[in-house]
Amino acid sequence: MVNIEDLRNNAKKLLEDGKVKYIIGFKKAANGLRPVPVFIDKPEDAAKLIWDPLCIHNLTRFLVDEKRRKARQKEPDLRPVGLVVKGCDSRAVNVLLQEKFIDRADIHIIGVSCENTGVVDEKKLAEKLKEKTVEKIEFGDNDEFVVTTDKGKIKVASSEILADRCLECPAHVAVVYDVLIGDHTKRKLDDSYKSLDKMESLTREERWAFWKEQLEKCIRCYACRSACPMCYCDECVVDTITFAVTADTTAEEKAQKIKWIEKSPVLSENFIYHFIRAIHLAGRCIDCGECERACPLDIPLRFLNKKLEKEAKKLFGYDAGFDPEAPSLVSCFKEEDPEDFIR
Amino acid sequence: MEKILNKKNLPRWIKGLKAFQVYAPSRDGDIWNYALIENPEDITLDYTSTVLSPKTIVFPQREILLKFGTSNDGELEITETLPQQDPSVIFGVRPCDAKAVFLMDKVFGGDFVDPYYWNRRDQIILVGLTCNTPPSPNCFCLSVDGSPHSKDGLDILMTDLGDRYFMESLTEKGDELFNLGKKLFEKPTAKDIKELAKIQADSEKNLKRQIKNIKKIPSLLKDMFESSYWDEASMSCLRCGICTYLCPTCHCFDMNDEVAVTSPIKGQRVRTWDTCQFPDFTMHSSGHNPRPDKASRLRQRVFHKFYYFPERYKNFQCIGCGRCISKCPVGIDIIQVLDGVSDHGA
Amino acid sequence: MMAEEFEPKIVAFLCKWCSSAGSDLAGVSRMEYPPNVVPITVMCSGSVSPLYILSAFNKGADGVLVSGCHPGDCHYIKGNYYARRRIALVKELLEFIGLEPERFQMSWVSAAEGLKYTQIIKNFVQSLKPLGPQTKLRRNP
Repeated sequence: MVNIEDLRNNAKKLLEDGKVKYIIGFKKAANGLRPVPVFIDKPEDAAKLIWDPLCIHNLTRFLVDEKRRKARQKEPDLRPVGLVVKGCDSRAVNVLLQEKFIDRADIHIIGVSCENTGVVDEKKLAEKLKEKTVEKIEFGDNDEFVVTTDKGKIKVASSEILADRCLECPAHVAVVYDVLIGDHTKRKLDDSYKSLDKMESLTREERWAFWKEQLEKCIRCYACRSACPMCYCDECVVDTITFAVTADTTAEEKAQKIKWIEKSPVLSENFIYHFIRAIHLAGRCIDCGECERACPLDIPLRFLNKKLEKEAKKLFGYDAGFDPEAPSLVSCFKEEDPEDFIR
Repeated sequence: MEKILNKKNLPRWIKGLKAFQVYAPSRDGDIWNYALIENPEDITLDYTSTVLSPKTIVFPQREILLKFGTSNDGELEITETLPQQDPSVIFGVRPCDAKAVFLMDKVFGGDFVDPYYWNRRDQIILVGLTCNTPPSPNCFCLSVDGSPHSKDGLDILMTDLGDRYFMESLTEKGDELFNLGKKLFEKPTAKDIKELAKIQADSEKNLKRQIKNIKKIPSLLKDMFESSYWDEASMSCLRCGICTYLCPTCHCFDMNDEVAVTSPIKGQRVRTWDTCQFPDFTMHSSGHNPRPDKASRLRQRVFHKFYYFPERYKNFQCIGCGRCISKCPVGIDIIQVLDGVSDHGA
Repeated sequence: MMAEEFEPKIVAFLCKWCSSAGSDLAGVSRMEYPPNVVPITVMCSGSVSPLYILSAFNKGADGVLVSGCHPGDCHYIKGNYYARRRIALVKELLEFIGLEPERFQMSWVSAAEGLKYTQIIKNFVQSLKPLGPQTKLRRNP
């Protein structure tokens, strides 16, 4: 069981000792059910930290902001940043470490256990508790969540309202941390890619019809890209045209600024954007689900990344985010990599 | 003109609007969005709110402005491509979303009249629906001089009285639609009128959220340009663009030339939605960016809606629909940001 | 009057040291093969970015070929190994979203394999003809 006071005391001490600049965690929202990210730099504010099954966000994303902020400052504070991470989030940290985007010394990782369950999918929750107003959700025993509603407390089996990705999660507990709050639990995982079964059983034309319908909805708000910790490029490949060409821009740099897709949110361009994002995330995506959660039009983006995650495992035996020393998926190879598709 | 329409006659009225394209809220999975109605029986006004506002019809995300090309003789040919909008009716428009159109009319019809906007706008009739109960837990239209039964921007306002709608026609276009369904309408009784007044009064009481000290906000903002408040308020912002793309009043746009063929040149100039929240929105060709960080961009959004626009157009540019609050992935809440401004300035 | 038969347009990314040389050998040896290919020489199959492939489909290519040196023969030692991995991922994802798998191919063609190159192109054109023009990923003006 995660003792919330352990988390708060730990955070408070770190701040009192000045060991970290600030801590990124979750706090109760002033409005609405879902907690919000909080940046705590005063020890007394550590009391605001919470941990419950609605802490969906992947806070690792804010390490990218921190790096950018430091780059802009003349005399940056070089102390590490504290970060509260779930199992999935910690794998994102590992990927950033693997790519040398951040130094291990730049972060103080506070891992929290998902108590053998995970986070709640708000849509499934609303469906399950139709007529009731949910006030609070807590981790319970026996793989259950305890939901406090306006009509009393209810116990719900976690498998009924867990986010889809949690049902396939290989890392219920942080895989890298400086301190772990909660127990090392291990959930039995039968099939890591079950959510893909339905899609893979469709015919090719059915799959095409599905993706066509979904990606026509896309308004290219780029929320998926902005929410992803691994999309940290200063210049995204789909945005190169908008960056400045000055008198100092060399011919080579100009040649690199190719317009790959138009800004218009039409199907053909949307396809390239989502496709290339999935490819760039191959072997890096750790299925935190933030892209899909952020999407205002409910496009099921997770499937694109999950497919490549499955292929990376199946074809190359690769798992993302477990070993910060491992090379990235596409910067290494094996002699015996499959080539049956090559003529 | 005021009429009563029995709910079961709604599809028949729509059938009579053969000369128009009819849009109405339509369900797609878990979300609602405006779509063309093929079968009038499918229409339902039993919905909360759409993710994308009627802005998508009045000011579409993509507009081709002109086509260009070189002829075989090397002569440059440019063809203006003003949109051809068929006469259209949008049903189920929330009064706040209609007010947003009313505000955009001011922008695109001010000193410079945008023909692309008006070619569409002039052909579109907006039929509103009173919000008997707030469509969203984050509604706050009353704080920004709106209301759940506001008439700004609408041609007709419908109010649900249970088994029938109370219909108020507000413009000539509204009258025209009434005439196309004459036989289906009845005269409102005194009871109907009393019920309408009650529902509209109650609708205002049902709103849960409000901005405190809204009247003071523009002058408070004026003194907060250099404040570090914006750093704190924007800490968790992902600079994703959802708030602006879903916002019914946001209208910033980008223009790009899409070249299909390079020799001989053939292409089109396209206007698309853009957002001040993207880092390169204010990137100059010199490489300088006056809004290089999230703080300055959040500040810009708040200032535009609550200080610059009111100064120019005497209206807040926010209509209180709450979409930005509901859909922000990190829970940045514009009401809280403004309450923070009040506290800061106090 | 016979209706015009559909002629697929294939964009082929050929590595300079092996596959492109192989296609040149086919040419100087006067081997006949269909003229449906737009060849693009790249330094190494490993330098082919997935964006090149997607861009080719976006601009209307009916088929895309990536061809490089046989494993072990890469002029840059390892480039084709990286390509093998990356292209496998691109191929899986293209099929996943529903593009016909026949439209995207990869091959190993050495500088001496002029004949193999012609056979690959002949087979590619044959397999593309019944599929018709590629409309799924193509940008429509």
